[in-house]
Amino acid sequence: METPAIARIIDLRRLSLPALLLAFVGAPVVWAFPVGLPFWRALGIVLGWAGVGLLLACLLLMVREVRLAECLGGIERITRWHHGSGVAAYLLLTMHPLALAAAGWAESPHVAWAIISPFAESWPVWLGWGGLCLLMLGLATTFLSRLPYGAWRRLHGLLGIGALLGFGHILQMGISAGALLVTAAAVLLLLWRALRIDLGTAAKPYVVQSVRSVAQAMVEVSLRPLAIPIESRPGQFVLVAFFRGPRYRGCGEFHPYTVSGAGKDHEFRIGVKALGDCTTCMQSLEAGVAARVQGPFGEFLSHLPARPRLWVAGGIGITPFLGYLRSRPIDQPTHLVYLYRGDEDAAYLDELKALADRSPDLALIAQATGAGLPDLAPLVPSTEALVDHECYVCGPPGLVKAVAQLLTARGVPGERIHFERFDFR
Amino acid sequence: MSRQLYLVSTVAFWTIVLGFALASNLWNPSADGAAKAREKVISAAELSRHSTPQDCWMAIRGSVYDLGAYLPDHPSRPDVIVPWCGRDATAAYETKTKGRPHSPYADKLLAQYLIGRFAGTPGS
Repeated sequence: METPAIARIIDLRRLSLPALLLAFVGAPVVWAFPVGLPFWRALGIVLGWAGVGLLLACLLLMVREVRLAECLGGIERITRWHHGSGVAAYLLLTMHPLALAAAGWAESPHVAWAIISPFAESWPVWLGWGGLCLLMLGLATTFLSRLPYGAWRRLHGLLGIGALLGFGHILQMGISAGALLVTAAAVLLLLWRALRIDLGTAAKPYVVQSVRSVAQAMVEVSLRPLAIPIESRPGQFVLVAFFRGPRYRGCGEFHPYTVSGAGKDHEFRIGVKALGDCTTCMQSLEAGVAARVQGPFGEFLSHLPARPRLWVAGGIGITPFLGYLRSRPIDQPTHLVYLYRGDEDAAYLDELKALADRSPDLALIAQATGAGLPDLAPLVPSTEALVDHECYVCGPPGLVKAVAQLLTARGVPGERIHFERFDFR
Repeated sequence: MSRQLYLVSTVAFWTIVLGFALASNLWNPSADGAAKAREKVISAAELSRHSTPQDCWMAIRGSVYDLGAYLPDHPSRPDVIVPWCGRDATAAYETKTKGRPHSPYADKLLAQYLIGRFAGTPGS
């Protein structure tokens, strides 16, 4: 339950990311601030170094370390800032050569073009163009959400190569101390991400203890630690990659799953719904399959205020609420709305009904909605009934958006509507 | 939002880059001044008479440039560049930071200040 001290810490953490970005942009700009140069040339230099600072911050924010995520306000917030700082860096870095060319325009159009022309025989210019074009391509593929995740991840890697070429461009300019420092930092962050996160050396070894079907195209997998276990709170999620078993052939990719329950000896459970190629393959998981686990991450139900609660779950979105209900008795009036397509998709429904029967503070509304968005108005409590409620929503993006809009229309302040996005692209 | 920002900025970037390339190709200033400058031959003795910051000529790669008007804009400290006034500064021009030559941008800029060909020192 949230106390005033915890609320103050949360408020302070909200400042951590803006402060971090300010430091990353401010330090190189102040260090390299040009004095006595013509306006456009000075502007070009400032834009370049500010872009470099944002690019470094963007690289830092792709490092998914548990403690760093906690300090910076959660991985979902970090991912949003990673995207924002990346796009902002791209904007500044595209303006950098244009401002330098504008500086040459005062002399002549020839001079302006000579400054940025990729046909000039100059390594600094070639590296600058190479870096910028790879950033351009990498960002273009980042926005292609329909790409399969594996292909998307490999193409996203172009951004890392583009960033390295950009730092090579700075080194070629002969700006020694600052250039060496930022290049070393960039290489370190890229190696950190590649080794600890992508290759999974930061992950903890687990093994599949049991697998049971809980609905159509959905299994609950119980995982047992083989070494140091993770310590998760209800509502948190982990990144898990499954490898090979006696018959199972996994795709080996890390995917996010909410912890739906914890057992003895640090076992934990996750619900896996067949939503893509990899998760469809996981429906045939079997005991004994090796897994690696990163995390835990997320703060979805970590700081619950002492107020009545509305929980709205769509499909697989029931898992954080189930994880909470399995972990402890509820101490506040809680209204749980559970929506699923058809009866065959109603995972954990019997268990939820049993929990509601045992707990007078838990009111459960479970409803099959069919395909498409249901009429939410009769399912969500009225404006009067929602007074002083803290609202938590988990499910498909369309449902989350529709519920958030309805709650806002019914007078729930934005700071009392909580949801997490699981899209880490 | 980010996607729109990316699209708009990328299209704007390539439009402006193409604009610079086109303007450079279409720009055709009178070549008379440069042609005349190429004809004029300047000796080492004459060059050496222009060795002050206000009246600064330099020979670079066989050409002579009047850099008096440019010196205040040069990025380095005056004590780095002023000693080269009135002299053949090719070696200094080719070995900027850590032995690197000046950039193509500097080459283009330099061309604006061309005043003649360098006759060289006797015996050179």
